[in-house]
Amino acid sequence: MFVINCPYCGEREQSEFKAGGEAHIVRPKQPTELSDDQWAEYLFMRKNIKGIQFERWVHTHGCRKWFNMVRDTSNDEIKAIYKMGEKPPVK
Amino acid sequence: MLNYSNPITEEKSYSGLQMREVKPIMKLILRGKKREFLSAVGKSLNLILPAEANTFTKSDKLTALWLSPDEWMIFSNEVSHIGNNDYQIENLLNKSICKTNLGAVTDVTDQFVLINLKGDKIYNLFETGSPFNFNDFRKKKASVTQTILAKIDVIIQNESQNDVNLFVRRSFSQHLFSWMNDSASRL
Repeated sequence: MFVINCPYCGEREQSEFKAGGEAHIVRPKQPTELSDDQWAEYLFMRKNIKGIQFERWVHTHGCRKWFNMVRDTSNDEIKAIYKMGEKPPVK
Repeated sequence: MLNYSNPITEEKSYSGLQMREVKPIMKLILRGKKREFLSAVGKSLNLILPAEANTFTKSDKLTALWLSPDEWMIFSNEVSHIGNNDYQIENLLNKSICKTNLGAVTDVTDQFVLINLKGDKIYNLFETGSPFNFNDFRKKKASVTQTILAKIDVIIQNESQNDVNLFVRRSFSQHLFSWMNDSASRL
């Protein structure tokens, strides 16, 4: 359990949110030109690292808006939260 | 004549807490992003939609709740006639917003149930089943929040001190009301 600072609503408890997987995955511009392996790579393959991870989250039980989060998966420390379409503030 | 069947039929009273459903109340959801949308709504309703998160604005007839940066709920302050589901305000907004492609208006009158709570133990009740921190909420004027109560999505509006409006989806309302009664009986 931890507190998340929704960029729209402010600080709320984690149970109001849902995680939406890895962030910043770009859809290939020409999917028809990709091989099956490349397409599967885009579609299914996700990083699952111990350490700092870029994720998408949604405030399901609040404003229902999506946003991005930089989270350390080893200790749940939230490094940064930023809106959709914005560039990550940390590397 | 519309055939109303209400999920909550009784008013409940405990020491420091009264709960009842307020009905029928017109409720509309407004969605839009453009500046023209905000000014069109303001003109049609004589009410400025709240731009600040988690707040509401109020006029004589209507209250507007902030739900998200591009979504608001407006509801009538007074009960409308039973048997009427044609609202002047909805028609007006349809004309000024929907037909001009500025935003969307959805009638959610029968989708949400409005439960009014009065008394000094309201927050004691909420604290038994919500992850939300009500400390600032109860002190701040004109505050609104969307959160979870007994695992059910609710919209809570701080009307005035010891007077709170709670919106819940109709299909959950009976269960939530019985949970609130159960919880209130043990406060």
